[in-house]
Amino acid sequence: MSNTIEIRQRQNLLQVDDLRMVYKVGRVDVPALRGVEMRVKEGEFLAIMGPSGCGKSTLLHLLGGLIQPTTGRVSIEGVDISKVSDAVRTRIRRDKVGFVFQRFNLLPSLTARDNIDLARTIRGIGSAAQNGSDAERILDLLGLRNKMHHRPSELSGGEQQRVAIARAIINRPKILLADEPTGNLDSENSMMVLEMLQELNVKYKQTIILITHDPEVASNAGRIIEMRDGLILNRVENLYYAVEQSRLT
Amino acid sequence: MIKLIFTNLTQRPTRTAVSILAVALGVALVLVSVGLSYGALNDSAERTRQMGDVMVQPSNASFLQVLNSGNFAVRIGTVLEKVDGVAAVTPVLSKFLAEAFHLIYGIDTESFLKVNEIFQILEGRMFEGAEEVVVDTNYAHAQKVGVGDQINILGTLYTVTGIFKEGIGARVLLPLVTLQEKNGTPDKCTMFFIRVRDDATIDEVYEELKVRTKGYKITKTAELQELLAANTPVFRQFITAVVTLSSVISFLMILLAMYTTITERTREIGILKSLGASKAYIIKLILQESLLICGLGVLVGYGLTFVTLQIVVATFPNLKVDISEAWRVGAALMAVGAGIFGALYPALKAAQLDPIKALGYE
Repeated sequence: MSNTIEIRQRQNLLQVDDLRMVYKVGRVDVPALRGVEMRVKEGEFLAIMGPSGCGKSTLLHLLGGLIQPTTGRVSIEGVDISKVSDAVRTRIRRDKVGFVFQRFNLLPSLTARDNIDLARTIRGIGSAAQNGSDAERILDLLGLRNKMHHRPSELSGGEQQRVAIARAIINRPKILLADEPTGNLDSENSMMVLEMLQELNVKYKQTIILITHDPEVASNAGRIIEMRDGLILNRVENLYYAVEQSRLT
Repeated sequence: MIKLIFTNLTQRPTRTAVSILAVALGVALVLVSVGLSYGALNDSAERTRQMGDVMVQPSNASFLQVLNSGNFAVRIGTVLEKVDGVAAVTPVLSKFLAEAFHLIYGIDTESFLKVNEIFQILEGRMFEGAEEVVVDTNYAHAQKVGVGDQINILGTLYTVTGIFKEGIGARVLLPLVTLQEKNGTPDKCTMFFIRVRDDATIDEVYEELKVRTKGYKITKTAELQELLAANTPVFRQFITAVVTLSSVISFLMILLAMYTTITERTREIGILKSLGASKAYIIKLILQESLLICGLGVLVGYGLTFVTLQIVVATFPNLKVDISEAWRVGAALMAVGAGIFGALYPALKAAQLDPIKALGYE
């Protein structure tokens, strides 16, 4: 419980104000988001839940600066990424955001280690040797040391997702955005991935925003936001989360 | 980034190989064409240069001997001999044998040997009779001809009496009078070659000849190579056409290869963008991949050129090859330039991709 209170006292890492997104399909305007308001504090583990087509993926993409909203604000550490140039938004995404996708999105031609290494290279930090050893360390941590030279096609779904998580966090981003990270996994691997995310949040204070349509997956987060038809319906504090936190710490 | 480029290339080995081969063909096309063209031109210029220090032709004559007829009076030689500094003058009637694709020279042995002090019969003797000829080592080797054999020139059989060291004049030499009769131009020649007494006075003799023989075409043979390249009809146009064609082939192949690559790798580009790769990073990635293909293409092209020219020269020993360093570098730059321009549009297209659409691409 004390951790939940602590989070409440922290500053907003992410702030979303009146966020609207309208897609044009032919001549028809299709609203995906209809004025979303949201605050996320540093170290929070937030789950955004809702049925398919409710706008949760669009919201995640906007939070990560992959797309620009029609109107509204998305601020990361006070910088409104909806107003900055494409180059600045790319830099913010590179420096402050990590993505984990449902389809893992690993580069098929690279090994597990090289996939992780790539995120470091794109950010332009560390020597090849340093990056390599960082990648190895993180793979070790995730129990994938013996798979580091394997290509994605040689890894199971769970292993691929763990590599994807490793790649997303190698640059120590401020926010980890996970888009249905367990959507393509069996229950055992789903559990493993969710535990990994919880551990990252609790042990390393990693801010995580996870979207899912599965209430069981959402239950791992400290706070759950429910979305429908491009709007946030309600916010739920997850009391079980505090119990989980104390277990992990 | 290098690792990503390498793995991208090795992941699609067939397309990579085809792209490399296309660039290599462009390079080889340029180098083989240029090598054979300059080889023929320079060989002709060099062999003509060895004939004497100065060449005198009628005013309307071409530097390309193939195009000239024998309409220059032999008696003009006596005027040339009187010019200060001239040591010897020899008339030459040249004729191009289209079927055999080489020149023959009708020469006056006595004056010819005065002008050409380095002329050397390696086997046999100089011709004496009207139906005797001497051939150079290259001709003897290519045609498998030896002393005592007979060769057919313009429908007449001539006996080979000697084989001379190649590098002087034409590949086949025969008596001037014989060729004049055969050509139907008695007492005529195509040009004169002059040897000056002192090499240091070539310029002075050249100027004096210009004054004394107004209206004639006077050429220092040392300048013939450049003059031939500059004045040979359609030579430059031919080279320009070959280089342009090769550049276009390389450009189109790289454009096609990289465009297909980008389409196939749309999703991967989306992943790179989601990781925060900038537009510059993606453009650089694709350009470097293209440059690597071009670099390998250039190396394979050099190899292909070598093999092709070996086969050509083995098949046609008369042909000479001359590829300067400048052309080797030029062909490489052409390929690299085509690679950069060919990859530029796909690279810009990739950089502009919407990351979400790219990530959703199947």
